[in-house]
Amino acid sequence: MTDFAAGAAPPRTAPQENTVWNGKLVRHSAASRVIHWTVALFFFLALFTGMPIWSPIFSWMGNLMGGLHVCRWLHPWVACAFFVATIVMWTHWHADMKMTEADRGWFGPKLIEYLKFSGEDPNVGKYNGGQKLFFWFALLDAILLLLTGIVLWFSTSFGAGLREASILLHDVAFILFGVAIVAHIYLGTAAEPGTFTAMSRGTVSKAWARLHHGKWYREVTGEEKRR
Amino acid sequence: MASLAATFGRGAMTNGWVDIKNSDVIFVMGGNPAENHPCGFKWAIEAKKTRNAKLVVVDPRFTRTAAVADYYAPMRAGSDIAILLGIIRYAIETKRFHEDYVKVHTNAPYVIDEAFSFSDGLFSGWDEGKHEYDKSKWPYQPDEQTKAYKVDLTLQHPRCVFQLLKKHVGRYTPEMVEKIAGMPKEKFLKVAELVTSTGNAEKAGTILYALGWTQHSSGVQIIRAAAMLQLLLGNVGRPGGGVNALRGHSNIQGATDIAGNTEILPGYLKTPIGAWQTVADYVEKTTPTTLNKQSWASMNFWQNTGKFMVSLLKAQYGKNATKENDFLYSLFPKVDGSYAGYSWMHLFDDMYRGSSTKLGKQEPGPEGFLTFGMNPVAIGPNSPKMVAALAKLKWMVVVENHETETAGFWKAPKDQYGTPDAAQIKTEVWMLPAATFAEKDGTFTNSARWMQWKWKALDPPGQAKGDPEIVGRIFLAVRELYRKEGGAVPEQILNVAWNYTNPIAPDQGEVLKEINGKALADIHDPKDPTKLIRAAGQQLENFGQLQDDGTTMCGNWLHLGVYTEAGNNTQRRNNADPSGLGMFHNWAFSWPANRRIMYNRASADAQGKPWDPSRPGISWNGEKWVGDVPDIKPDSPPGQFGAFIMLPEGVGRLWSPVLNDGPFPEHYEAVEAATDNLLHPKVTSNPVSKRFSSDKDKYADRKDYPVICTTYRLTEHFHYWTQHQHNGRLNVTQPGFFFEMPEAMARQMGVENGQHIRVSSPRGSITGPAIVTKRLLPLTLAGEQRWQIGMPIHWGYAGDPAHTGPLANLLTPSAMDPNTWTPEFKVFLVKVEKA
Amino acid sequence: MATTQQGMEIRQSSASLRGTATGARKLPVVAKYIDTTICIGCKACEVACAEWNDLPPVQTEQRGSYQTMPTLHAQYWNLIKFNEIEIGDSLAWLMRKDQCMHCADPGCLRACPAPGAIVQYENGIVDVNPDACIGCGLCETGCPFDVPRYHARTGKMAKCTLCVDRASVGLEPACIKACPTGTLHFGNKNAMLEMAEHRVDQLHKNGFPAAAVYDPPGVGGTSVVTILAYGDHPEWYGLPKDPSVPASVRFWKRVLKPVGLIAMAGAVVAAVGHYLTVGPKEPKDQERPS
Repeated sequence: MTDFAAGAAPPRTAPQENTVWNGKLVRHSAASRVIHWTVALFFFLALFTGMPIWSPIFSWMGNLMGGLHVCRWLHPWVACAFFVATIVMWTHWHADMKMTEADRGWFGPKLIEYLKFSGEDPNVGKYNGGQKLFFWFALLDAILLLLTGIVLWFSTSFGAGLREASILLHDVAFILFGVAIVAHIYLGTAAEPGTFTAMSRGTVSKAWARLHHGKWYREVTGEEKRR
Repeated sequence: MASLAATFGRGAMTNGWVDIKNSDVIFVMGGNPAENHPCGFKWAIEAKKTRNAKLVVVDPRFTRTAAVADYYAPMRAGSDIAILLGIIRYAIETKRFHEDYVKVHTNAPYVIDEAFSFSDGLFSGWDEGKHEYDKSKWPYQPDEQTKAYKVDLTLQHPRCVFQLLKKHVGRYTPEMVEKIAGMPKEKFLKVAELVTSTGNAEKAGTILYALGWTQHSSGVQIIRAAAMLQLLLGNVGRPGGGVNALRGHSNIQGATDIAGNTEILPGYLKTPIGAWQTVADYVEKTTPTTLNKQSWASMNFWQNTGKFMVSLLKAQYGKNATKENDFLYSLFPKVDGSYAGYSWMHLFDDMYRGSSTKLGKQEPGPEGFLTFGMNPVAIGPNSPKMVAALAKLKWMVVVENHETETAGFWKAPKDQYGTPDAAQIKTEVWMLPAATFAEKDGTFTNSARWMQWKWKALDPPGQAKGDPEIVGRIFLAVRELYRKEGGAVPEQILNVAWNYTNPIAPDQGEVLKEINGKALADIHDPKDPTKLIRAAGQQLENFGQLQDDGTTMCGNWLHLGVYTEAGNNTQRRNNADPSGLGMFHNWAFSWPANRRIMYNRASADAQGKPWDPSRPGISWNGEKWVGDVPDIKPDSPPGQFGAFIMLPEGVGRLWSPVLNDGPFPEHYEAVEAATDNLLHPKVTSNPVSKRFSSDKDKYADRKDYPVICTTYRLTEHFHYWTQHQHNGRLNVTQPGFFFEMPEAMARQMGVENGQHIRVSSPRGSITGPAIVTKRLLPLTLAGEQRWQIGMPIHWGYAGDPAHTGPLANLLTPSAMDPNTWTPEFKVFLVKVEKA
Repeated sequence: MATTQQGMEIRQSSASLRGTATGARKLPVVAKYIDTTICIGCKACEVACAEWNDLPPVQTEQRGSYQTMPTLHAQYWNLIKFNEIEIGDSLAWLMRKDQCMHCADPGCLRACPAPGAIVQYENGIVDVNPDACIGCGLCETGCPFDVPRYHARTGKMAKCTLCVDRASVGLEPACIKACPTGTLHFGNKNAMLEMAEHRVDQLHKNGFPAAAVYDPPGVGGTSVVTILAYGDHPEWYGLPKDPSVPASVRFWKRVLKPVGLIAMAGAVVAAVGHYLTVGPKEPKDQERPS
């Protein structure tokens, strides 16, 4: 791998993912970031058009979007866009998101352990188990939201049972997403400083990478384990 | 109507709509009032709610009326007489009839002459060659000493009407009724029990019927049977009783009253026959002889015929009619031979064949035709023949609101109607646009004989004109032609009085005044010549003021009292009802003489006491009759006159020797008989019933056409009108033609609900969706399973193309009742296939 | 009506955070009285409804029934349901006028997400405010009687208003006015119930032991008081046997929404708490960013 550190002039070409560039590790290519932020944009549009329909507490969001009638009209379309973007994201990232043997415990003890910020696992690859879980959760939840959403969208074409089930499942899916997104944002910003640049500039510091994704750091830099 | 006149004296609903609320048992048969008279039917509901009245429905179909009935029994279309005579038999056998009433108010005690007999389905007097009865073979037996009718008030004389009736109906056992009518015995007995529960003084029951009885080849006799049943149960003349003919149009009663049929003039005067050359002749031939029972006399109101006729002639010819010229009776239109040839059924037969039946086929058929508010192609049987008949005319004038099937007859789809090519048709058609009911003044006479004024609500559109103006303009133009060019008998037209303020469009109030009549000279009391009853020019007030010397004029004696010096009584709208019986004497005007219940003398016993004091019609207070307007001389004490003043006997006729098909009703199969007649296989159908013999008059055989079919109307539509309504509400509620067929039949044929079927008769063939229903039941006839189906009549080929459909009458036969020439729309044979 | 009826006091309205009742006037609850035992299915009520409310005609087709159309329609708010039922060896042809039942506890109003789109007036009439309606169709799910209909052209829900425009000026609804047989009456609900009980007594004596008034408690009663000859079989008339606002809608509104709100708010609180207690996780060998 080429090290462009120490004053070397950065190349005009876009940095490749999983390389060292300007002393930093390139975590997300421009394409990855565009996809991520597209998903995020449509997620928030769907959220802001959906929340006021969900509860009058969020009617201010409706006002922001141009009123409840606009929300009613816009919500299914931005939701569709969100779904499409999610699928693109899946095709783009799913290879990196394969759950491995090491990710096993992330459903339970490892997650608790992780949230305690007490120890470091030096063998974390580009994505840890939690991130992978979130990825797959987001995909499945998006599918669920889409399917139940279609029933609600064209409710007159479906039977009462399916409509009732969809109302409930759409809500459950959305609530889960809501909780997950809070965690996602928190962990991506305040909780772990240095993370956000991965999605803004596309790069992370070596120290950050060493701390959070030791294995990935080693693979990218070629450095040996420092112990 | 004919049968009610033959039984009671007048051809109209005996009671009234509101009076139905006073009934204890409402027997509906031959009608579907919930469907066809929903607004009047509210009174049946009222009786159910307030009196806990029982609503009994007998019908081939489980109808909308049956849906709210207390008891429903199914039957085979066309078996009405068997059921009714079965009920009469039940009433007599179980003594569930009103014996006191029968003795006082009916001809049950009258003894019948030996000349009468009945065997093998034929009454005495049968002429095999003419296919007619000699009615003189059914006479009453006069008492040698008194010269009055011979009666036996114990009802035991073997030849008294009661015993003859008992014998006649003896064959109609519950078992026989079940076999003929397909009505299970238990159901028949339940119906009979409910209906005869009013055969006493305490209870009163009514019968409601409509075209379901009229439109049969024995239609008049079906109604006769019902009228007899009501006489036997003592239900005629009483509040809550009666035989109530429900009329299908808002003004059909009014049309009949004012000469709607060929055999009658206004007020049911008989149409003159050519052989009756003078007024005296006419009066002699048409006035029935008063024949009194031993104790009671008959008012025989028709003995005033001379006064009615002369006053009518004075209305017709005005000043030109004088005593010297016999009131121009000689100019008055008359018929040749019998009335039959003049019915509109015969008119169309003549038109189609191009020759007249009236004088032994010596004359050509009609070459011109004027039709006014009538759509013969749609309402006549065998539509292809109707279309073909019109195609033979030289000209036709249609006065209508819309272009009807008749107006555009050449547009009838050729594949269904066999319409001649338009190029071959030489009929020149004029259509005169007419105002609708809301666009002109006038009166409606409802089923209850209430003449109610209606005011014009808006102007007719475009060039449309009200009927008075159309008639006025035609009359004036024709008179002008006669005046200028002469013609065959110009006097007939030139002498007609046409003294309206506006001769072009006579004011309807003026016409009503003329119908009521006025004094033309001072009229004095015959008992006290110094007493002036009416001054010259004053409107007449009652029948008693009519004269036969030309000093009164009256367009319709029956309507007398409708427009008096007090004003136009049809405009009265006072809904006070002191009787609590729904009589409303100050609401509009009810002929005759503002009487609300006809024959109300029969609501009281021999002494003049009401049978049921809680429901008095009239009662004798020692000086006069009080209550409703009495249907008897107001100051005649009980015992002086009989209750049925229009009949020469003065009593109701269980025996009626005036109809063309027998003094008693008898069950005959329809002309297109679905089965043999179980009572007399040699005489299957009504022997006197009429059919035609042109090449288009084909009748079905039950081997090829095994299914019984009937026709009816729907509440959502008004005749053939709604097909003209673009996107109308009514076309939403009943979007199109359909058949109804029994579930079991559909299963057998593999027809799904809503699937199309093809129904054919020898006249034509119709394809349409089937409503597969539980409301039509399978029948077993002579051990064989048979089906009956039905279809509504409302569609045709004219009107909004989105709402056209087949005419039901494509399938119906020209088979007619021998008294009224009403076609048999209610029973005919068809075959059914999957389409 | 583009908005709710002027001058009518509102008892509750859809998707509101706090009480939306207006005014201090206490109006008596009104009701339609429907006696199915004397209904002749003449459809005068159907036509009167369409006429008064200026509803454009709906295209219909004869598909094997006297019933005008299979179910209610956004342009047809009043429909007589015809049912042929065999009872022993006899037949009943049951006719019942179907329309909005105006529930005391309206499922449509419960399910509606648009503030003020469905209102219940003080007199019990449940009405739609098309201005506020967003046409989501959730009311259809909330209604146990299958009444509200989405109108494709306007994108709004539509149903019987109990002619609130007439009722508010003291007139009976158009359907009541048109009824020829006395099947339909209109008035204070108590009076209607009393009349109905009287009629049911009569039916009991006339061989209908199961005759009953249909005023289902599951939805708090309705402002349509229906007399059924076969009160033990409302389903024969196309009525649900024991209707209530669907459990799913209740669970959704009463449990899931608060739980969801708490869960999401909880997630935020947890994140803040985590930050304050556990704090950020930063690399110990901090490198200066270059």
